[in-house]
Amino acid sequence: MKKKVFVYLGLIIALGACYPGGAEYYSDIDATYTDYDDQFDFASRGTYSIPDSIVKIEGDLEEGEEPEYVKEPYNTQMLSKIRDNMSAYGWTRVDDPAEADLVLFPAAWTNTSVYYWYDYWCWYYPYYCGWGWGYPSVSSYTTGTLVMTLIADGDDYIEPTRVWTGVINGLLSGSYNATRVNKAIDQAFEQSPYLKTN
Amino acid sequence: MKKIFFLLIVCSLLISSKTFGQQGSYFSAQYAVSFGSGDLTNYISKTSWRGALIEYRAAVRSNLLVGIDLGWNVFYEKKDFDTYTMDTRSLSGVQYRYQNVVPVLVAFDYLISSTNALKPYVGLGLGTMYSERATDMNLYRLIENTWHFALKGELGMLYQISYNSSVKFAAKYYTGFKTAIMDSQGYFSLSLGMAWDL
Repeated sequence: MKKKVFVYLGLIIALGACYPGGAEYYSDIDATYTDYDDQFDFASRGTYSIPDSIVKIEGDLEEGEEPEYVKEPYNTQMLSKIRDNMSAYGWTRVDDPAEADLVLFPAAWTNTSVYYWYDYWCWYYPYYCGWGWGYPSVSSYTTGTLVMTLIADGDDYIEPTRVWTGVINGLLSGSYNATRVNKAIDQAFEQSPYLKTN
Repeated sequence: MKKIFFLLIVCSLLISSKTFGQQGSYFSAQYAVSFGSGDLTNYISKTSWRGALIEYRAAVRSNLLVGIDLGWNVFYEKKDFDTYTMDTRSLSGVQYRYQNVVPVLVAFDYLISSTNALKPYVGLGLGTMYSERATDMNLYRLIENTWHFALKGELGMLYQISYNSSVKFAAKYYTGFKTAIMDSQGYFSLSLGMAWDL
């Protein structure tokens, strides 16, 4: 009888995990976030300007220091996708930001998180645990983020003000995946239909 | 004081006469398949195939058994890529939703017939239910957990297959009442397992 009880208890434990399943592919982690100023009338505007380089944020800049930029061809690929979406919503790009209704600032960064633990061998040799012996197990992951910000100034605002923010974030897979990035940029605009001027 | 009085009654019942056929008490372990209802099914619509429960029962009258139920059900669903909007903010991505439910109940079973090998019964339970809800999106996990006051209604049967063991099949409905953190959580459960006389 006792054996049977243990078999069943084992079964209960084997049933597992409080958190089964989970993400299988890098794209399962991708997320797109947008927010906007609902007092701003996007439909009455029509022009925007955008820099031809995406700033790569890597920390504080010294005075006079040039920022880093996203490397080519990724810079151009992302900018093209952003421009295509703005154009599809009826926006006309102008070169001079002073003449534009809105300015779109893109920026990107990566972030690597490292985590490690020492006690992974405890299941086998508990004597070591808590003594700081052995080698730590180390792992890391890197995420990439692209932020797109639409800034308004002029008659409506005393100071330049953010009226739309689009953020795409995902786990980096080791090489640039244009399909994932393009899809995420498209998604940022798709979930922001209030940007339409046409 | 009421709690102490209640516990004393339960304890006295547990150590009183043994008139459940030839058996005074039994231990049971069962596998359970569960189907959410109400708020639970709004959150996770998929059937839970991960569930187990252990039970102890002692006869206090020829047809009345009292005991304890301890259960564990894991609900899980991967939600396809979707957009979730709250005021001006929208967030898109794949969500992984988990809900662990652990009912701990004092149970009362009334045997409709206790003389045959087949013993149908109806049961009631009351106690508490721990709910832990986790939503994974991007690299973040949002966790909510709470303890509900819980009730259980049950209809089942024991079928004696040897001098000291029976097959147990039951249909149960659990309700965890609303708390400040979570709405009421209910689910229907079908369980199948073994019961051994002690």
